[in-house]
Formats: sequence, C-alpha cells, structure tokens
Amino acid sequence: MSAVIKFFSRTHGKNKLSFIDWIAYLYLFLGFLIIFLPVLWLLLNSIKSQFLLQKLDTNLLPLDYDRVVRATVFGPDGKEIFIIKDLPDWVIYWNELRDEDKKEVNDPNLFISKFEGKEYYALRTHLGLVSDHAKELIEEKNFPEWLIKYPSMFPDAKKEYNPEEYLINLNEEEVRLLSEFLGLKPYKPNGFTSQILISAKNTETNEIEEYSVSRLNTNKDTVNARLISNPQGGIVKIPTEDIIVNKKLRPSWINYSDPLTNNVRGMSFDAIKCLNNSVFVTIIATIITVLINSMAAFALSKYKFNGQIIFFIIILATLMVPASVLIVGIFKMVSVTGLNGTLWGVIIPGAATPTGVFMLRQYMLTIPDELLEAARMDAASEWSIYWRIVFPLALPAIAVLAILSIIWRWNDLILPMIAVSTTKTAYTIQLCLLDFQGEYVAQEHYRLAMTVVSLIPTTLVFVFLQRYITTGIANTGIK
Amino acid sequence: MATLELKQVRKNYGNLEVIHGIDLFINNGEFCVLVGPSGCGKSTLLRMIAGLEQITKGDILIDEQLVNNISAARRGLAMVFQSYALYPHMSVRQNLAFGLENLKMEVDEIDKRILEAARLLRMEEYLQRKPGQLSGGQKQRVAIGRAIVREPSIYLFDEPLSNLDAELRVATRVELKALHARLGNTMIYVTHDQVEAMTMADKIVVMNDGIIEQVGAPLELYNKPSNKFVAGFIGSPKMNFIQFDYLPNSLKEIAPSNSTSLGIRPEHLSIKDENSLSLNVETVEQLGSDSFLYGTTSGEQKISIKLNYQTDIQANQTIKVGFKLDDAHWFDKDGIALTS
Repeated sequence: MSAVIKFFSRTHGKNKLSFIDWIAYLYLFLGFLIIFLPVLWLLLNSIKSQFLLQKLDTNLLPLDYDRVVRATVFGPDGKEIFIIKDLPDWVIYWNELRDEDKKEVNDPNLFISKFEGKEYYALRTHLGLVSDHAKELIEEKNFPEWLIKYPSMFPDAKKEYNPEEYLINLNEEEVRLLSEFLGLKPYKPNGFTSQILISAKNTETNEIEEYSVSRLNTNKDTVNARLISNPQGGIVKIPTEDIIVNKKLRPSWINYSDPLTNNVRGMSFDAIKCLNNSVFVTIIATIITVLINSMAAFALSKYKFNGQIIFFIIILATLMVPASVLIVGIFKMVSVTGLNGTLWGVIIPGAATPTGVFMLRQYMLTIPDELLEAARMDAASEWSIYWRIVFPLALPAIAVLAILSIIWRWNDLILPMIAVSTTKTAYTIQLCLLDFQGEYVAQEHYRLAMTVVSLIPTTLVFVFLQRYITTGIANTGIK
Repeated sequence: MATLELKQVRKNYGNLEVIHGIDLFINNGEFCVLVGPSGCGKSTLLRMIAGLEQITKGDILIDEQLVNNISAARRGLAMVFQSYALYPHMSVRQNLAFGLENLKMEVDEIDKRILEAARLLRMEEYLQRKPGQLSGGQKQRVAIGRAIVREPSIYLFDEPLSNLDAELRVATRVELKALHARLGNTMIYVTHDQVEAMTMADKIVVMNDGIIEQVGAPLELYNKPSNKFVAGFIGSPKMNFIQFDYLPNSLKEIAPSNSTSLGIRPEHLSIKDENSLSLNVETVEQLGSDSFLYGTTSGEQKISIKLNYQTDIQANQTIKVGFKLDDAHWFDKDGIALTS
C-alpha cells in the first residue's frame, strides 16, 4: 500500500508539483476515466432493477423511485384514468411471473378482494382473473359453451353469434364482467402500467402535490406528469428543476441471485450450466492449445528438416485469413466429424493458433542449442528434451499464450455459435448472454448482471497474471 | 575406460569440406588435447566423436566398436560444454540427476553417485541452488560433475575454461589434471589455448584447417615441431621466423640444404656475438622477472626476444643477438621442418 502511495505521490519538481506533474497527472486521470467509466457504468447498471432499466434511467447509481400504478378502466362513462399506490412488486410484475409462481406463491383472488370499484376492475384484468370469473358466471347461468370460445374467434365467425342477448338479465357487475371478457363495447380490457411517483408544486393551487410520470428524463426541460389527486385532468408539463423525486438507493441483487440460482421468471435458463461449460471449454482448450502450439514451435525452432521454412510460412499465412471467412469451413468440418452440439466442437477447431506457434517459436529460438545437446548427451529422449528442458524454459512465453488463450476462449462467440448454437445444454456463457431474453420480455437486468459475472474470470486472470503478460511479451519481442 | 580410433573421418557442410580425413588413435586413460586456431575444425571433430554431428565419411570406433550410427545418448560419453549448458530451471542436484534418470537408474544409486561427485568436486553446499545463483567456477564444477556422475568411458571437454577469469583458469586447470589422475579415464579436451594444451595433455593434437598438423607429447611438439605451423603455434611468445635471404652469411653456410627460413624461439635468443644477428630495438617491456625486446633485423624481419633478467637496453638501440645452433629450426619452402 505504501508503495502505491509512494508511486502516486511522486513529483517531477523538487518538492511541489511542477507543470509537467500537472500535465502527467491530468493525463493519467483522464485515461483512467476513459477506461474505467464504461466498466463502472456496467457494474452499477447491473444492480439496477428491471423497472429502472425499462424506464431508461440515466442515473449512475441504482436509485429506485417510489412507484405507483396508472390504471385505465373503460366503462359506460368512457375511459377513466387513475392511480393506485402501494402495490406489492408481485402484483406490478404479474405478467412476468411463471405459471407456478402465480398459483403457488400468491393468491390473486384474496388480494383483489381487498379492493372495490374501478381499482378492483383494473386489478382483475391485470391479474388475469376476468376469464376465470366469466367462465364461472357462464357455467352458473347455464349459458351456451360457445360464449367461452367467443373471445378467441375470428371476426367472421363472431358475426354468426349475438352474445349481447345474454347480457339482458344480468346485474351491472355481471354485465361488466362478461363484456370485458367478450370484448363488448363500451367495455375493453383495462390498462395497467407502473409509473414513477414525484412531487411538485401545482402551478394553479401553489401547493405541493403528487404526480405520476411514466419516464423521467432529467436532461429535458419539462416532465410530462399526471396529477394523482386528479388523474383525469390529463398530462401537465412540469419544469424539471421544480420536481421533487423521492429516491432510495436500492440495489437489485436479484439480478445476480435469480439467474445464478436458476430462478429466472418467465423462462427456464441455466446460467450455472453455461458458466460450467465456459470453464470447461476454457481450461481444456487452453491446455490443448498450449501443448499443440509448443510442440509445433519446438519442432520449427529446434529441428532442421526439409520444408521447415515452407511450413512456417504456411502457418504464418493463416494469420492473414480473417476468422469470418472460415466460419462455413469450420461449420462443415464440425458437422462432418459429428462434433456439432458437443463442447469438443468448440474446443478442437481453435486448438492450434498461428499466433501461438509464432510467439513460442520466436521465444524458443532464444533457448541455446547447447542445452539440447547437453540433454542428448544425458541420454534424454526427444520427448523428454521437449517436456523437461524446452517446455519449462519457454514458460514465460507459454504463460502469455495461456493467458491469451483463456481470454480468447472465454470471450469467444463465433466458435460456440458455429458448433453448439442448436444445443442449449452446451451453451457457453457468451451464447447465454446473447440468448438472455424471455419469450415475450427482454430481461436486460439479468443480462447486465450476467455480463458482469462473465467478466470476473478474465479480470482475475489479468489482475493476477498481468506481470507474466508484460514480462513475457517483452521477452518474445511481440507487441 | 576406453580407446578411441578415428579412421579417415570427414565432414562436409553442403559442398564445403571442413574436416579432411582425420586419422587418430587415443589410448586408454590418455589425456588428449585437440588444439588449433579458431575455425580449424577441432570443436566439430569433438562433436562428431560425441555423436552430436553426423560424420560424412570415415569411421569412429570406441573400444574397437563402430559407433557411426549410434546416437549420442548411447555412446556412453559425457561432454562438458563451453557455456556449461546447465539446465537453468533445475537445481544443481537435478542437473546431476537428469542424465541418470534418463537411464532409468535406481533412486538410491543416483543419490549415491551425486554425493560422490559432490564430495569429489567440493560442491555439497550448493546442491540445492539453481545455476543462476552460482559463480562461474561453481558452474564449471557442476558441469564437470554432471559428466562424472554418468561414469562415462570417455570424457569430452569443449573449451571448458574459456569463460573463467585468468586466476580461476589456472586453478581449474590444475584441478582437472588432478581429476584425470584420480579417475584415470580417457579424456579428450578441445582448446585454442596452447598453454592449456601444454600443461594438461599427455598427447597434443595440433589441428589447422581441418587436418592434423602434428600429434605428440607436449615437449616433443615444443622441441621438434614437424612444420612451421606447429612451431609457430606452440610456445609463447611466438617463434621468430627469418627468411633465408636475410640471414648473415655465417648462418647461411651452416644451414641445411633447401632451407628457406630459420625459426628461433624468443627465449633461445640472447645478447651475444656468436651466430649473431644485428637487431634494431623498437620496444622494451620489463616484467620484472623477464624482459621482452621487440625489434627488426635487416629486411624488416620482426624479432622478439625473451630475457630472463632485467636489462638496461633502451629502444632505438642496436644490439647483437645470438643463439645456440641446437635451438635453431630450419624449414623448407613448404614449411616442413628440416634436420640440421
């Protein structure tokens, strides 16, 4: 720690900061920000709740707002807009719950029995109880069965029936229920959206009142808000600087815990499996890459044979071929050999890398031949010369290759897409991130959190092995 | 314990022949030094004996067994390299054990041999260190130790002392000689330093341009060089050569017929009138015990003189130097030594 303080408090001037110090520290600070801010942004966004992300919240910190629900209820008097406060999260996110969660964890019938009137209607629609209640009513009254199918009929088929005759003998509540179910005017399915609760001075009454807004963009001059005490009054524009927002720091750790405990609502998704696949691919592929490349480099640097230069040039020439050109070829190879759908299909095609062979060859050229001759005099076989002399001596370069291979493999998207994109159980973490969305809803909060998780291994590799990278790269003469 | 025989051994690199048919026999227990200027092929010859270089033509026999097609590992030789070639990632003990492990030797036997070698070379206290932590002399010992533990039939040394400083070189030279006396193995030693050759060898092989110029015991080479090259190469400072035409008439008369030059060692010249040359002194070096005079005689023939006393002769002085006739070497136009 003292070394760090000493490092950062160094000055060019004798005792105080000189002009050059100012420039240097400014430059360092700027560079630090340029590199670090996007990472910080990712980290902090990964603990924002789904609600904030959907509202395109621009705060750096995960500041959650007080929330209200704006409901729209249609009726004989036209549409009525109003605000419901203090609803639990599971009600707000009802549409994203899995079926088993809906039934087992919560009881919507019990919940809405606490409400009445328009709030009851809005919640009934939102919680999907309209059809249940309507079916019960139809059975109770012995109405014909086609009524149940009526909402899902094609418009042409609907013309053959006249459901309105069944509304005549019902009371007002029953008319409403059946009309909402059948979609008969003046009733329609009721609206239900989550909004942000703010406070601001009412320009007419000069009193502080509560408003709800659907999107809070502090870069704009005004905010479109709806007065909670009079939601029918329509949208008013409030100057952004006048609003008081009640913000609480509320990191949303479920972004991490849900996918990692395989508890993602609305979809079955196994992040742990993906991480395991990635770890397997990375470790096995790195071991194979290091072995194959170092053996090739050993042969190219330490043996004299016909066509040595040709081989080396061919290997180097493959560096010039862009990876995207090879996609079709690799796909054909993988499917012909039957490796598609297995992790070996990801591991094997990328095992030999021209960069690795070149880097290791250049390093091995610096190992004196006399050592190999001494080993030959010591009755060592060619394999034990490679394994016990050349391999350990090339470790600095091999460490660089291993680190690079870990990073390549972990971040690779193309090879997994070629080899395993049709087999969910063999997905690597990068494919998972790409696929991280439900059938109807994008779950960006989980995606961001899992992106952060996927960055951890490569970050650790860099933090703990970066000195090998710098010394190794310096030694191999490769920039 | 072994003999080594080379029969018409040749080596080509492409079309270039660098070893032109070497015949050599080295006896059991002999300390044989291959000496010659750099580029004369002595290291190549050693590496051919070791099996690290293919031979183009000829035969190599160890203990009367033909080994041309036997790999380096199985010839039963051990080699000490100029750069020592210690495995830098292994400790001294592992360096010594490596060759024995490759031979699938028992662990007990390996430990025993390492301890013996360590005691012999006094390197017990740094067996656990890596080569990077050793001094030049210590590395040298480890390199020799690595050869000793193998208990080879023949030891090969490729300029092993050239990386040591002067003082250590002399000390190690003596130690190596003592080691040879103790082990009694056949040793082949390559050097470009004729002092090492003279001090250590039982038999010196003087090589030049891929051929053997002369084989013999050290004093034999010094006293009876068979040609001008050997005469000039053995002995320090170099032998003086004076062309026949510039000799005084008194010397011309006693010279053998066909001689074209006279060779006389600097230490055999003295300041006297008998058989004398007139010398214009250009430089005087006083070493305390010895004095060196450098000058020219008639016809710009360069002459150096070694006197084993301090002298008051000054530069630019003209003096008379003479020698005993027994010390004179006469050479014909091909550089072959003539007997007077």
